[in-house]
Amino acid sequence: MISCKKATYLVSKKEEKKLSWIERWQLRAHLAMCSLCRKFEMQSGFIGRNAKHLHEHLHATLSPEAKEKIKAVLKNQ
Amino acid sequence: MPENKLKPDQWINAYGDALYSYTLARINDTGIAEDLVQETFLSAWKARDSYKGEASEKSWLFTICKNKIIDHYRKKARDIVQPMAETSATDQFFDSEEHWTVEDKPTDWAMDYASKMDNKEFYKILNGCKKKLQEIQQAVFSMKYMEDLDAAEICKALGITSSNYWVLIHRAKLQLRTCLEKNWINLK
Ligand SMILES: [Zn+2]
Repeated sequence: MISCKKATYLVSKKEEKKLSWIERWQLRAHLAMCSLCRKFEMQSGFIGRNAKHLHEHLHATLSPEAKEKIKAVLKNQ
Repeated sequence: MPENKLKPDQWINAYGDALYSYTLARINDTGIAEDLVQETFLSAWKARDSYKGEASEKSWLFTICKNKIIDHYRKKARDIVQPMAETSATDQFFDSEEHWTVEDKPTDWAMDYASKMDNKEFYKILNGCKKKLQEIQQAVFSMKYMEDLDAAEICKALGITSSNYWVLIHRAKLQLRTCLEKNWINLK
């Protein structure tokens, strides 16, 4: 039986489909027994899938000065 | 169908803030993010004759911006890649048997993990948690989960081995998960 540390390491590899057959087997056996690592797997997937939307929720704005500066740089081209 | 045309005089007002948010979500430094947005517009301006109108003006600009961000990581990699102590990297989460410690073991988030998250508060906290990662972890995390690059591309850009890569991803995920749980889930 692999440890939780190893199992969580393999979870990310699994998300990228990079597990060897033995790792796949080790992870499956661990997850069948360990509800904590099953939670980790769900949460890890959730974080990975939603991270790419972060900027849509930031609503950061360039300062008026920064915008003027960029306009000036483009004008000088 | 109308052909896509560039309108450079409107770029900054139309896309400046969106490109800036996009960059700032990936590079937590307002000064560097401003510079990269400026470089994006500058490169776009210089390349305007090569724009064929196949992509929309907006997605064309975002593609240029994305390349600027990856370039930035590539150039910076030399400074931010540190020799890694693999043994200690994730030990805080696990006990001597490598099982979850009581403080850091995952608890139930009582939500649909398959859902798309739309809660603004969640992203605010995610952003704060991401800022706490080491720069190299942030770079790897952004390239993987925000830019959708594959492991081989990221290793090549940052000059790291694939085992370094997996250790960095592993640690970034553990830290983000714990940070989200402590700051967001428990607030609900
Ligand atoms: Zn486990």
